[in-house]
Amino acid sequence: MSELLGTQAKAPGLSERWGPVALYLLKRLLSGALVLLAGTAAVFFTIQAAPGDPALSALGEQATPEAIAAFRAEYGLDAPLMVQYVRWLLGFFQGDLGQSLAVARGMPVGALVLQKLPATVFVGFFALFLAVVLSLVLGTLAALNRGKATDTIATSIAVFGVSMPDFWMSYVLIFGLSLGLGLFPAFGYVAPSTSLTGALHATFLPALAIAAPMAAVFARTLRAVLIETLSKPYVTAAKSFGLRRPFILVHFVLRNAMVPYLTVVGLQIRYILGGVVVVERIFGIPGIGSLMVDGAFARDYNVLQACTVVFLAIVLLVNVAVDMICALLDPKQTVK
Amino acid sequence: MTSFRRFLQHRTGVIGLLIVVIVALAVLIGPALIPYGPEDMDFMAMLAPPSAAHPFGTDSFGRDVLSRVLLGGRVSLLISFTAILIAAVLGSWIGILSGYHMGWTDGVLMRVMDLLFSFPSFILAMLLMVLFGFSSANIIAAIALVYLPIFARIARNTTLLIREEPFIQASRLMGRRPAAIMLTEILPNISAPIMVQASVGFAFAIILEAGLSFIGLGVQPPTPSLGGIMSDGREYFSRAPWVLTMSGMAISVALLGINLLGDGLRDLTDPKLRERT
Amino acid sequence: MTNQISRRRVLQGITALPFAGSLSLSARAALAQSTTMTAAITGYSVINSLDPAKASLIPEFYVIWGVFNGLMKFDDEMNVVPDLAETVTALDGGGYEFKLKSGVKFHDGSELTAEDVKFTFDRVMDKETASPNAGKLGKVSKVEVVDPLTVRILTEGSYAPLLTFLTNARTGTQIISKAAFEAMGAEAFSRAPVGTGAWKVSDWRAGEGLTLSAHPDYFEGKPGFETVEVPLIAEEASGVTALQGGQIDMTSTAPAADVSMLMQDSKIQVLRQPGLNTRFISINLKKAPFDDIHFRRAVSMAFQREAMVQAVIFGEGVPAQGVIPPQLPAYYSTEPRAYMKFDPAAAKAEMAKSKYKPEEVEVGVITWSGGWWKRFAEIFVAQVNQTLGTKFKVEVTDANTAYARQKSGDFEAGVWGWLGMVDPDEYVGDLLTSTGWRNFQGYSNPEVDQLAAQGLAETDPAKRPEYYKKAEAIAMDEVALIPCFCSNIHNLLRADLEGFVQKPYSNFADQFRSMKLS
Repeated sequence: MSELLGTQAKAPGLSERWGPVALYLLKRLLSGALVLLAGTAAVFFTIQAAPGDPALSALGEQATPEAIAAFRAEYGLDAPLMVQYVRWLLGFFQGDLGQSLAVARGMPVGALVLQKLPATVFVGFFALFLAVVLSLVLGTLAALNRGKATDTIATSIAVFGVSMPDFWMSYVLIFGLSLGLGLFPAFGYVAPSTSLTGALHATFLPALAIAAPMAAVFARTLRAVLIETLSKPYVTAAKSFGLRRPFILVHFVLRNAMVPYLTVVGLQIRYILGGVVVVERIFGIPGIGSLMVDGAFARDYNVLQACTVVFLAIVLLVNVAVDMICALLDPKQTVK
Repeated sequence: MTSFRRFLQHRTGVIGLLIVVIVALAVLIGPALIPYGPEDMDFMAMLAPPSAAHPFGTDSFGRDVLSRVLLGGRVSLLISFTAILIAAVLGSWIGILSGYHMGWTDGVLMRVMDLLFSFPSFILAMLLMVLFGFSSANIIAAIALVYLPIFARIARNTTLLIREEPFIQASRLMGRRPAAIMLTEILPNISAPIMVQASVGFAFAIILEAGLSFIGLGVQPPTPSLGGIMSDGREYFSRAPWVLTMSGMAISVALLGINLLGDGLRDLTDPKLRERT
Repeated sequence: MTNQISRRRVLQGITALPFAGSLSLSARAALAQSTTMTAAITGYSVINSLDPAKASLIPEFYVIWGVFNGLMKFDDEMNVVPDLAETVTALDGGGYEFKLKSGVKFHDGSELTAEDVKFTFDRVMDKETASPNAGKLGKVSKVEVVDPLTVRILTEGSYAPLLTFLTNARTGTQIISKAAFEAMGAEAFSRAPVGTGAWKVSDWRAGEGLTLSAHPDYFEGKPGFETVEVPLIAEEASGVTALQGGQIDMTSTAPAADVSMLMQDSKIQVLRQPGLNTRFISINLKKAPFDDIHFRRAVSMAFQREAMVQAVIFGEGVPAQGVIPPQLPAYYSTEPRAYMKFDPAAAKAEMAKSKYKPEEVEVGVITWSGGWWKRFAEIFVAQVNQTLGTKFKVEVTDANTAYARQKSGDFEAGVWGWLGMVDPDEYVGDLLTSTGWRNFQGYSNPEVDQLAAQGLAETDPAKRPEYYKKAEAIAMDEVALIPCFCSNIHNLLRADLEGFVQKPYSNFADQFRSMKLS
């Protein structure tokens, strides 16, 4: 039977499986680190070349030329750009991301980022979770009932979802579920460490606003992949062996559909993080997205740099994680 | 022709096409049919609710929201379209170059693309706008940069698949210049996946443009854009909800059409799905 | 008419509904114990420093006012009265002697002495400190300690605004603890400041907000609330939803668009009054085309200020015809000014006298993407173009760039305005004299400089206004800048919260002590 079932063929030994995976992981992380480094350089020199001055944001309207000069000297902004970047890099390798210039003047940026990161990660994961659950339900229902009314309804929901940009969705949700029905707060954040249910309640609307378009994309992918998998010979074979439908669905179909599905999920992380920026602002969530917007507008170079590192690292890690999961689900496809 | 006929059998694809055509007609000729210009202010009718005279109401300057939504739609669609066009052309070129030559050209180009691709899309665009100023040209550039790596990847992968095909090897043996081979042999073969990606990218470009305008990083006034109208409307949302609502719905309709059309196109070009549709 | 009614009903519905079902956890937390008040700073997301000498942003002062006291303060009628000072005596050679209240305690328990006062002022004036507020004490020559509770501030000649600049307003002259500052260092002090105010900063989360706890030994008595949470809410509109949803108890500002609607809401008190501010179009007099007086006059007469007030701030303000706002009644001029009102015929006539042709000049009007500031520029440009056929265009950028460009003279025109300036010298002196630090226009008229200098030295309250009125009239006749309107200031409070007295410079934490739930 296992031969008939294609991808379910004899699994290689654990060490055989992990060897190439570990090597691949190492390679990915290394090249990721290089991308990260290049990213910091690109952002550093671009923002310095752009107009604007953190001293004006930090010192405000009444700043005298002397005050501005003192500010620049205090934070080393008077040194040549190359020197500033090398200083930043040296600090970075020692885990020092510098001081905030104009968002929380003088505060260590590392601490600032650590303070903001949990909210973003929480909302991001909540959104991802909602998107995955919604899409699994919609996508599976649509694929199993292909061509029937259920399919049409599920597909329509997905299409409408993808036609609702997150910021517009935010307002629809605020208007309907918050101001209208009073089910969820329209504003504010509760840390999960304070109260997990409180956090889930407070961040449900922002998470849903980010999740809705993503869920639509995921569901459409899943539907297409499932339809393809369902017609594979091993599924037909499994059916002919008299295995029960739910068993087939979980063990053969969904499992094999996971690889392309997760790949798409990985690709969408860019959009999720982008959505976080706008949605954090609308719902007043004190996360890294709000921090980056403040940093960009105030020209807080150090904060911008740090946020860049964080976002690049998240994208990198998520993609590596997706690759790993795919590799474990489908060892044959592992190393290209 | 056969593929068009096949497309006509794709029910939702046809609906999408219809919506897109209607939206296109509305934004192209609609503004000319409305008695108010998108910049005409009427201080006697500020924040007027929807009525027969102003079906979408008026904004805080007494400007007709319908006329602004139509023109704003034209601007948003044009910006998104141009950005995707640039990204597709430039991305295909980079991808073909990369896939055809391989070696260090490939290495360098693809690492740059990887870097661009590692930035969350909205954040990359936002940074570019804040740092280089707000203008239509900069929005187009920002959106194009966000989508460039996607097109480049697709073009490169497809090129890699076909570069060893006999017909390409034959051209090479005949001594044709690489540029000519890329243009006449490879390009036509990668156009289908690029087209499909462009339709998906177009929808995302509209969202991105609107998102940028929404947080205030949009085109310069008085030129309206859908996100810009929404951004204004958000400010006085509780007093005049129609400004935000109408422009938001307009964006959803446009996206709906483009998405349905994109689905149709994808099914048409994806051979695996085609067989069983 | 029916439309109007039904719309209002819909809107009432919107505001009333949240109360029906809001059951947010944070709301319950705020309401459950009447020992805590949540007072949000709305429209801002950044606080850099709570050190008065270093503070410059409005949200920083919002908090500082509750943490510190000045030697003086504004009473409810906006008179300058002693705060930490017991008595104030004018000295013959210029300056004042202050007897301090005895027994005033800092947060760390130490007592306020004349040394603290001297240290505070010396530090603001010290070049090393590079204080953005140093100008307030610009004419001070020396601060002397006479005895532990007596201090003298000596000035070069008489300096009329000195007492005003020593109030607990947007001044930066609030008194800090010398011992605490020296022990902590500037950096730590700016985040955990030690003052004499009713509130201690017990927690500060950058970009999110801070927690104030009551100073039990406050010299005017212990505050009613134990704790005040001060979240920073970047979007004003979000502040309204948060208040309606019960997550917060009051706000520092309100979105102008929502004011009329909120006033119908029985669950919310709207406090509003004309604010101490002037919104104007800053123009570069050193560059074409605003170097031409006729061109300036033409533009100033080419737009309707009343319509601007309606369209930009939804009627929450009054048109302006000068830089001094009506909230400085002694200094406010009601004399009609020819070039400061809408008159299309006169505007065209002036334009004809100008050396520029309206259709030939291109002018960018700089603004930034924060809500009404953008619409302010937009409606100005649209109206002027319509009246004169000029080719003005809006240039939206971000606030930092807008400010940098004005400061460096790289602009033709831009929207501008400050909030919370309390002395006429901060309007006429700063904006219209050739050395004024806010005079980005490059306006210079020796007569105006002379009058402003006389106003600065004139300590007789009956005579002082005349100098400023005259100087302002001259500058407005030459259109040194284009005044547009003064906007109202607002606070939103839940209906059962009382004890907040609003002042026209937009005050905040200074009122928390006397607040309570009814």
